[in-house]
Amino acid sequence: MDDCKNNEGYTRRNFLLAGARGAAGMALVLFGGGVALVSANTVSAGGSGPRGEYGYDPTKHRWIYLVDISKCIGCGSCVRACELENQVPANFFRTWVERYHVSRTGQVWIDSPNGARDGFDPAVLGADVAKSFFVPKLCNHCTNTPCVQLCPVGASFISPDGVVLVDEQRCIGCSYCVQACPYGSRFIHPETHTASKCTLCYHRITRGHRTACVQNCPTGARRLGDAKVLGDEVANIIATSEVHLLKPELHTEPNCYYIGHSQEVR
Amino acid sequence: MENTKHIWRAVILLLVLLVAMVLGRQALIPESFGEMGFYRADALDEFMAKEMEYGPPGSCTECHDDVAEAKAAGGHAGVQCEVCHAPLSTHVRDGDIVAEMAINRTWHLCAYCHQQLTARPAGMTQIDLHEHLELGSGEAIPEDACFDCHDAEGIHSP
Repeated sequence: MDDCKNNEGYTRRNFLLAGARGAAGMALVLFGGGVALVSANTVSAGGSGPRGEYGYDPTKHRWIYLVDISKCIGCGSCVRACELENQVPANFFRTWVERYHVSRTGQVWIDSPNGARDGFDPAVLGADVAKSFFVPKLCNHCTNTPCVQLCPVGASFISPDGVVLVDEQRCIGCSYCVQACPYGSRFIHPETHTASKCTLCYHRITRGHRTACVQNCPTGARRLGDAKVLGDEVANIIATSEVHLLKPELHTEPNCYYIGHSQEVR
Repeated sequence: MENTKHIWRAVILLLVLLVAMVLGRQALIPESFGEMGFYRADALDEFMAKEMEYGPPGSCTECHDDVAEAKAAGGHAGVQCEVCHAPLSTHVRDGDIVAEMAINRTWHLCAYCHQQLTARPAGMTQIDLHEHLELGSGEAIPEDACFDCHDAEGIHSP
C-alpha cells in the first residue's frame, strides 16, 4: 500500500494518456518520414522529353522487331555485324542463327555452330529431311519480361521505348536474369562480370538508324519497326499478317515477331 | 511526470534513425534512379552515347559513288557494302581515313551466302563449291578460288 501511495499522482488514466500521446507522436514522425520517402520516389517531370546529344525522346517510340524465316539464308552476317558493332566477347552471342532440319516423322535436328558467326557448312544427315530452314534469334524485348521482374538491384529495366537493357553500373552479376530468360538471350560478360545482352543497338536506333543486324541482313529477313509511327511498314505487317511469337505459352509478351514460323521453332 | 522521459528517448531515437535512413538512402541511391522507373535514367544516355561502328546507309556513297552506282544496278544492290567489307569505323572515323578498307579475298566470304545448303530458301543463288570448282569431294578449296574468275566489278554488280 505504501508503494501505491508513492505513485499517487500516476494513475492508470495518466499512464494511458501518456501512452496515447507517445503513440500519436511516433505515428506523426513515421507518417512524415513516409511522405518524404514517397515524394522522393515519385516520378519527376524530368522523366520525359528529349534526351542525350541527339535529342531522342524515348517516350515517342515503341520498337518492334520482325524476323521473316522464309527469307533467312543463314549467312551469319547479322551475327558478325552484332559482334563488331557491340564488341561482343568471343563465344558469346547477342544474336545467333539456328538451323532446323525436320524429318518426315517429326524428328528435329537443330544446330548453330559458333552461333552461325562463321556461317554454316553443308549438313550431313542420314535421315530423310522433309524441311529445313534458318531461324535468327535475339532478345525478344518482352513487355512482361521475367528478367527485369527479378533483378534485385534495378539494373535490368525496360526503357520507355520498349527496349530491355542492363545498366552495367548497377548490375551485381548475380545472373538470376540469365537463368530466368526463357530465350537464352543473356550471358555474363567474361570481363565485366555483369549481365550482357542485345541492346537493340540503342546507340543506333536513337540516332535514327537501324540496328547492325537489320542493316547488315542481305535479304531483309530482319526488320526493325516503330509501333508509334503511323503507317510503319513493320507494324502494318504485324497487324495484318500471320505472325508468331516464340514460347507464347509463357506470356512474356515478346516484341520480336516471326513470319514463316514452323511449329518446331521454340 | 518524470516517467515520460522514456517516451522522449524513444522519439529522439526514432528521429535519429529516420534522419540516418534518409541520408543513407540519398548517398546509396544514384541521382537519376527512379526518374523514369525502377532504374537509373542516366543509363539511357550512356547507351545512346556509344559510338557507332557500322555507318549509316549511304556513308560509302559519299566517296565511292562510282562503285555504289554500279552496285545499285546489280544483284548485290540490297547488300550493304560493310557486309562483305568491314564496319565503316575501321576505315573512316570523324571524317578522316584511319586505315584502308578491308577486303576479304577468300572463298569463305562468298560461301557465307552462296554455299549450297539445304536449309536455304529455294530462290537463293547457291553453288556446290566442289562441283563448281571441279574438285574431288573432300579436296581442300583454294583460298582465292572465287577471285580467279570473279573480279571486283563482277562481284559489285553481278
